[in-house]
Amino acid sequence: METNNVNMDDQKQDATKSPSGFSIIWREFIKDKVALISLIFLVILTTLVYGVSLFLNQEEIVRVDLFAIHEPPSEEFILGTDYGGRDVFGQLIIGTRNSLSIGILVTLATGIIGVVYGVVAGYFGGQIDNVLMRILDFFLILPMIMTVIVFVTLVPDYGVITFSFIMTMFLWMGIARLIRSRALQEKELDYIQASKTLGSSHTKIIFTQLLPNITSLIVVTMTLNLAANIGLESGLSFLGFGFPESTPSLGTLLSYARNPQTLEFRWWIWLPAAILIFVLMLAVRNVGEALKRAADARQRRG
Amino acid sequence: MAFLEVKDLKVHFPIKGGILNRTIDHVRAVDGVTFEVEQGKTYGLVGESGSGKTTTGRAVIGLNHVTSGKVFYEGTDITKKQSKTKALRKDIQMIFQDPYSSLNPRKRVLDVIAEPLRNFEKLSKQEEKKRVQELLELVGLSPEAIVKYPHEFSGGQRQRIGVARAIALRPKLIIADEPVSALDVSVQAQVLNFMQDIQQELGLTYLFISHDLGIVKHMCDDIAIMYRGRYVEQGTRDDIFNNPQHIYTKRLVSAIPDINPRNREKQFHFREEVQREFEHSYDDYFDNEGLAYGLQPISGSHYVALPEKG
Amino acid sequence: MWKFIVRRLIITFPQLVVLSVLVFLAAQFMPGDALTGSIGNPNITAEQLEQRREALGLNDPWYVRYGDWVSGVVQGDLGESYRFKMPVTELIGQRIVNSFWLSVVTLIFTYIIAVPLGILSGRYNDSLLDQSITGYTYVGFATPLFIFALVMLWIFGYQFGWFPTNGSVEPGLTPGTFDYVLSKLYHLILPGISMALIATVNTVQYLRSEIIDTKQRDFIITARAKGAPESRVYNRHILRNSLLPIAAFFGFEITGLIGGTIFVETIFSYPGMGQLFLESVTLRDFSTLVSVVLLFGVTAIGGALLSDIILSLVDPRIRIK
Repeated sequence: METNNVNMDDQKQDATKSPSGFSIIWREFIKDKVALISLIFLVILTTLVYGVSLFLNQEEIVRVDLFAIHEPPSEEFILGTDYGGRDVFGQLIIGTRNSLSIGILVTLATGIIGVVYGVVAGYFGGQIDNVLMRILDFFLILPMIMTVIVFVTLVPDYGVITFSFIMTMFLWMGIARLIRSRALQEKELDYIQASKTLGSSHTKIIFTQLLPNITSLIVVTMTLNLAANIGLESGLSFLGFGFPESTPSLGTLLSYARNPQTLEFRWWIWLPAAILIFVLMLAVRNVGEALKRAADARQRRG
Repeated sequence: MAFLEVKDLKVHFPIKGGILNRTIDHVRAVDGVTFEVEQGKTYGLVGESGSGKTTTGRAVIGLNHVTSGKVFYEGTDITKKQSKTKALRKDIQMIFQDPYSSLNPRKRVLDVIAEPLRNFEKLSKQEEKKRVQELLELVGLSPEAIVKYPHEFSGGQRQRIGVARAIALRPKLIIADEPVSALDVSVQAQVLNFMQDIQQELGLTYLFISHDLGIVKHMCDDIAIMYRGRYVEQGTRDDIFNNPQHIYTKRLVSAIPDINPRNREKQFHFREEVQREFEHSYDDYFDNEGLAYGLQPISGSHYVALPEKG
Repeated sequence: MWKFIVRRLIITFPQLVVLSVLVFLAAQFMPGDALTGSIGNPNITAEQLEQRREALGLNDPWYVRYGDWVSGVVQGDLGESYRFKMPVTELIGQRIVNSFWLSVVTLIFTYIIAVPLGILSGRYNDSLLDQSITGYTYVGFATPLFIFALVMLWIFGYQFGWFPTNGSVEPGLTPGTFDYVLSKLYHLILPGISMALIATVNTVQYLRSEIIDTKQRDFIITARAKGAPESRVYNRHILRNSLLPIAAFFGFEITGLIGGTIFVETIFSYPGMGQLFLESVTLRDFSTLVSVVLLFGVTAIGGALLSDIILSLVDPRIRIK
């Protein structure tokens, strides 16, 4: 698309001083206003949500109050109350915090598993790669959402930790495959071969040579995964197989909309959560896309 | 005892195929290669792409798995990875063909050149920096370059960084895999002359891999011509260039351009003659599969792949 | 090419076996069995229960039971649902038809949307039109299906009242009549469109970049240089090269629908397989659950297989692998 002029810019950069990773990213954000706004929004939202929820009492908010059922937005309850008389606004804050937390947790966990798995398979190749890829294939056969739901119902003491664990168990394959194919390409390059002849051990090569060269891919993938994971968690909570009601997430608020009455007449319960999830996912994606462009010299705008 | 001795080296790669993706055949990249290299000399391996010269070099240093055959370095068998002691690894280094992909783009020059030092020598940060700067000076780069990244250098400069890295441990044998083929012709001579200079200075032995006969003539004491994984002819520089025996070598030698315009006519006729001979006597030099025969001695140093008499 | 298809089929077989073993083992960990429903029935003693268990082979080692189960499944016998009190095969039979039609309608919508949008956006790239289409795909990519479907239902089902809000057909109509078919279709439109609008963004993006890519290829420039009119360049050269890979997406779309149906059928209270899955999970009706998961799994494997085969027919490069 805009390859030509960008390439010229690149050459100009080479001629002068090479920009550091951060300044490349920073320039990309300056150039892409949407991504910049998304980033600022995310920073503000995160601080706000984690900050405000410090002052909110989760037990207080999720306590059923039968005298205040289904109240529309008012001065006392900015966004009204749900069927248990619980403050929707408070749930929204806590829900966002919980959704973000689990999203980040699952993304990090799947990221670590995926990167380790992918690097080992790709770097060592051969039989190791074969075995690891067959195992991965078996995970890929399973219909993911259904498997997660089935596991959620099977686990005896179900809670936030087990839920993240189950999600992680069935979500690491994508990043593992991506990293593996990249590692497979990268290890054939001469600089890795050179390291071998220079006497570096495999561990050393992986950590000091291979990983620094695939960091951008990892960061970009994990950012995009974060958006997907927030969506997935809220979807599962929406179906009733995510967070328990005592720990509301954004999906929990949406799940009230499965009641046609709530959906039709009490928009204040579910619509804010719907918008928030949408905006959150869009913002995270915008940031991810900007990072992706920054990582690939041909796509850079800045 | 030769300095480097390679005995009947074979490197085969499996070809996967068929319904079950089994190994159905092998690519015989290197198929029975034997040679010796003397210390302080430059041994040239020449051939077209796919002839197995690079694979031979990589097998010697252990980057490619050896299917069969043996590699001896100063009498020690180094075919197996386990048998390579630390000292042995230090002694054999490699210069790579592509100066762009052979340097990690994320590392500063200091880290690139210091990598072997960190693996083998325990130096303080100061000593390390000093050594790297010395090395940079030796290869003709400014010592300030240590804080720069590889992409800030030209191809020739990058190749010099690659050379600096290879000689950092003061090795005895360097495998130079087409060290200048990715460079501009104007830079090639610089790098080559520089390589000869440090050879003298450090007493290096080169296993010099190239497809360019001109360069090989300039650099090498002994030369081997490879074709499809086998040796076609082996001898001293004089043997190969002034007395080529195999038809394949003759073709290669005849293809070297001559700068003197007065010889143009002569050269042209010579080429035509060789081409005629090649077509005429192809079957005398290659077997049914189009591969070279086993080597037969012509003189003490000169071997040619010819069918066994009788 | 036949080699590729045969090899691909051979890979599919162990996939099916592993899937069935996993599903079966999962079922073993689930509490209760075919007779759990009878527990607490005062007319049956624990001893009698044990006897019937023995007679039904429920005390055999797992691999024997797996063998029995598989041979049953292959013959179309999926066991008995103890919640719905009917054979699972029958139960699924009703729902699968509904899900099938929902999928068909969704796929039709997906392609109806994807092909023109992709072509327009690819052909006139960087125009205002292209920018709005790209904007749509970008937003569509980031929108979770269930939120979109929920909002669609809220707006078009409840606020405007244009579409029915639940079920697969108006109650009281006789099956087979024209009104019945019409009502079925009417119920399919909103869920179908909701799913298609989200599912299609991948295809639109792919088609767009494929066309832009093909546009700059040398053979297209040659065609132009020979003086071929622009419409001919597009219809004969570019579209043929770009549309064929889309065909291969077909299988993946099917696989993608599986996750989607669970959400969409729940939101639109549409009695299909996705809803049956959730019902059987909630009611802990494990014989049904196991069968539904197995069927979805088989569909997913089949979808991937189909895609690979179409791809190998369309793109010779893929066959070497």
